[in-house]
Amino acid sequence: MLGYLVRRTLQAIVVILGVTLIVFLLSQLIPGGQARAALGPKATSVQIAHFNHVNGYDEPLWVQYWHYILNMVKGDFGYSYKNNQGVAQLIAERLPKTITLVGASTVLALVIAIPLGMAQAVRRNRPFDYVMTAASFILYAMPAFLIGELLILLFSFTLDWLPSQPPSDASAWAVFTNPVAFILPVVSLAALTIAAFSRYMRSSVLDTIAEDYIRTARAKGASPRQILWGHAMRNALLPIITLLGLSLPAIVGGALIIEDVFNYPGMGLLTVQAANNDDIPLILGTTLVATIATVVGSLLADVLYAAADPRIRLGGD
Amino acid sequence: MRAPFRRLLATSLAAAALSTSAVVVAPSMAGAASKPTVATWAEAPQTPPNYIFPFMPLQYFSVSTINNFQFLMFRPLYWFGQGKTPNLNLQLSLANEPSYSNGNKTVTVNLKNYQWSNGEKVTADDVMFWMNMLHADKDQWADYTAGTGIPDDIDSITVNSPTKITFQLKAPVNTHWFTYNELSQISPMPLAWDKTSDAAGPGSGGCAKAAYGSADAKCDAVFTYLSKASGFDPANPKGANNSLSTYATNPLWQVVDGPWKLSKFDASGNVEFVPNTKYSGPIKPTLKKFVEVPFTTDTAEFNALVGGKIDVGYLPSANITSPAKSPFAAGPNNPRLKNFTLDPLYSWSINYFPYNFQSTGNDGNAGKIFSQLYFRQAFQTLVNQTAYISKIWKNYGIPTYGPVPTYPPNSYASSFEKSNPYPYSVSKAKALLTSHGWKVVPNGTSTCVRPGSAKNQCGKGIPAGAKLDFTLEYATGGTALAQLMNVEKSSWAQAGINVTLRGASFNTVLGHAIPCTAGESCDWQLENWGGGWVFAPDYYPTGEAIFQTGAGSNSGSYSSATADRLIKATTDGGASLTAYENFLAKDLPAVYQPNPVTSLTEIRKGLKGVTPQSPLFSITPEAWRF
Repeated sequence: MLGYLVRRTLQAIVVILGVTLIVFLLSQLIPGGQARAALGPKATSVQIAHFNHVNGYDEPLWVQYWHYILNMVKGDFGYSYKNNQGVAQLIAERLPKTITLVGASTVLALVIAIPLGMAQAVRRNRPFDYVMTAASFILYAMPAFLIGELLILLFSFTLDWLPSQPPSDASAWAVFTNPVAFILPVVSLAALTIAAFSRYMRSSVLDTIAEDYIRTARAKGASPRQILWGHAMRNALLPIITLLGLSLPAIVGGALIIEDVFNYPGMGLLTVQAANNDDIPLILGTTLVATIATVVGSLLADVLYAAADPRIRLGGD
Repeated sequence: MRAPFRRLLATSLAAAALSTSAVVVAPSMAGAASKPTVATWAEAPQTPPNYIFPFMPLQYFSVSTINNFQFLMFRPLYWFGQGKTPNLNLQLSLANEPSYSNGNKTVTVNLKNYQWSNGEKVTADDVMFWMNMLHADKDQWADYTAGTGIPDDIDSITVNSPTKITFQLKAPVNTHWFTYNELSQISPMPLAWDKTSDAAGPGSGGCAKAAYGSADAKCDAVFTYLSKASGFDPANPKGANNSLSTYATNPLWQVVDGPWKLSKFDASGNVEFVPNTKYSGPIKPTLKKFVEVPFTTDTAEFNALVGGKIDVGYLPSANITSPAKSPFAAGPNNPRLKNFTLDPLYSWSINYFPYNFQSTGNDGNAGKIFSQLYFRQAFQTLVNQTAYISKIWKNYGIPTYGPVPTYPPNSYASSFEKSNPYPYSVSKAKALLTSHGWKVVPNGTSTCVRPGSAKNQCGKGIPAGAKLDFTLEYATGGTALAQLMNVEKSSWAQAGINVTLRGASFNTVLGHAIPCTAGESCDWQLENWGGGWVFAPDYYPTGEAIFQTGAGSNSGSYSSATADRLIKATTDGGASLTAYENFLAKDLPAVYQPNPVTSLTEIRKGLKGVTPQSPLFSITPEAWRF
């Protein structure tokens, strides 16, 4: 296992460097470059040249990239003129907000989807299963913004039970000053995930309870409860573990649409705004975070899968 | 399996209920209705203020930061925006009207009786402080243009008394231009800022009271200190800093001469102001707090309006439900906003996109064709501005017919410009092209059949067979501009002018739309970033920045000796704008475009004093009353 982890970590470093290099090179194709993006339409050619010189954008590309990597190792991801803040600062500000939102919705989705999927499998092809399947499909097919807007319309504007927007303070802690305002964004995001997770769980349980060892357990007199919780559940959770690992990039990358609808400035919006503003250091920073999350999530999924299923051995161990 | 099913169902429902109730029963601190003494105002998406020091470099320059943030605390020497006009507002200015003498080479400014919140008077030294800093760090000032305006045109400055300061200029100026475009840039700075460290005493920096231009090194040190406190380190511009989080607590920024003091600020744009109890201006705040709220998107802002969470916001264009009666009179409001009044705000701007007169595109013919006035006339004649405003913007828009804004009401726009020199006419456009040697192919591509420089020929350098075939790149992101470009493309096609549209990001368009450099490939033809030009903080709509030969923002390299002479007469001489604007309305240095409304402001019923809105975007919540 240790050897596998070391190999995967080294691979991850290569992948991360490769992604930063690709994004860095692509960002150089932006007409006018960082100077025009930062200084705007009123900048003269003299001002642009001065800006490029002061910021080192007139150095050869490989020198710029080398400086970027050196600074990155020191924790300096560059500076966003648009926001008048360091990229690391911006990410440190937005990431906890996104983790809070997406993390809470993922937990809520799991808490509901796992029992729901199991219940559907147990009651397969009966009215409850049909109703839940239809509901899952409807939720799964609905765009995130529509769910958000419908919930706002119902619970904020019509019933006036819940606020339509959580506190927008820079600190992630602000949501805890008014947790009620956090319900709608979390529920909106969870609704989408519940639909997906419960479908996976239902299929997985159905596959599992058709296995020979379940039939054997039943023949030996195990109760339905013992069969479901004691024998079927652990194996049925395997696909969910994979899904969870692969959802880490989303947890870190943000839920753009939900952040959009609920005025919650997280990583998703930060990334989109960086792209819209041609804010190259910020584009590189958010891409780096997403890349790390993807690599770590994939690794985590593999490791957890092996831990949950003794039949799996990583890297030939 | 019935038992497990019930248990699972119960577990599922209980989990959901528990998750929900856990947060429902938690204490709520939000949702409190706006009190009559607190007003909330919506920041447009992506415009949260991010710089507090009024002397700011171009990379932080933002009209919204200046007008909706800095001006609330730090008043400029002269305030512009009088009702709906962009005119000088002497009531809100720190000084009386400047007087010009010595053949318009001497400018005298007499300050009024204003004071800073620390009790000190706003004096001529505070003006000198700004001017000395400008002398030392002019390259760091966002509005500096080499060779034009302050400080390059200043010979000397003398502080005559605490309330009187005299500027001696190198050459005579147009007095209106100097007041509106040069003195407008000055913001007096308090002695408390004249230092180089937190512990140093007021005035220890040695910049404010020094003779003009005699303390560049000291002023530069002060500039560095103040810039760092605002988040910009001139010596290490990419270095990390935490200054934004200290804006509301740094004692520097608590010394204000405006009606408001900053009480809360975060990097997301959550801003709160409380009244400056020592404000000495004419209109004192009655609100106990003024709150600026950031929004991620128009949708979120609209939801906040519907939910009644803000007092002054804006109606996103996607939520306009009824057309305006006229561009200046709002139509019925969105029915979901019954508690709000709609008021359209038009900025002090013109809308256009440039031709690239140096373009090597279209087989080297684009620039040569654009240089022909008859072609520009035909092209402009096919732009039906009033129809587009009606269809695309539901009447919320103003046509642009020349280089001076025709609305809001002002004394600059000439009757000739307002008359629309090139009214929409397909037949006239066709006739112009045909009479100059083009075989017009409606909905095809017209070609030059009579090359040459004579009056009835295509024009200098345009060969036989040259095509009226161009590429127009426009900024994507808004549906209105895409609609406009498509409808204009169809209109141009009626005269056989084939325009290929290409969408790109705003910054990409800006990046392409730069003046060509000799010896370098330059094939862009038409670039439309969708914004034209806003006259701020140069409020006098002269053309030295955008249409003068070689000007930095003359994107298309338009060059006309007549235009240059007329522009110079409006800045250095005594000429009014009339001759300049009439010439450029006729000469078409760019493609004039409809100018959509800047903001459809929504004002909570019962909140007075928000209107009339300034076309310069400045807000004066000290005048707001519930």
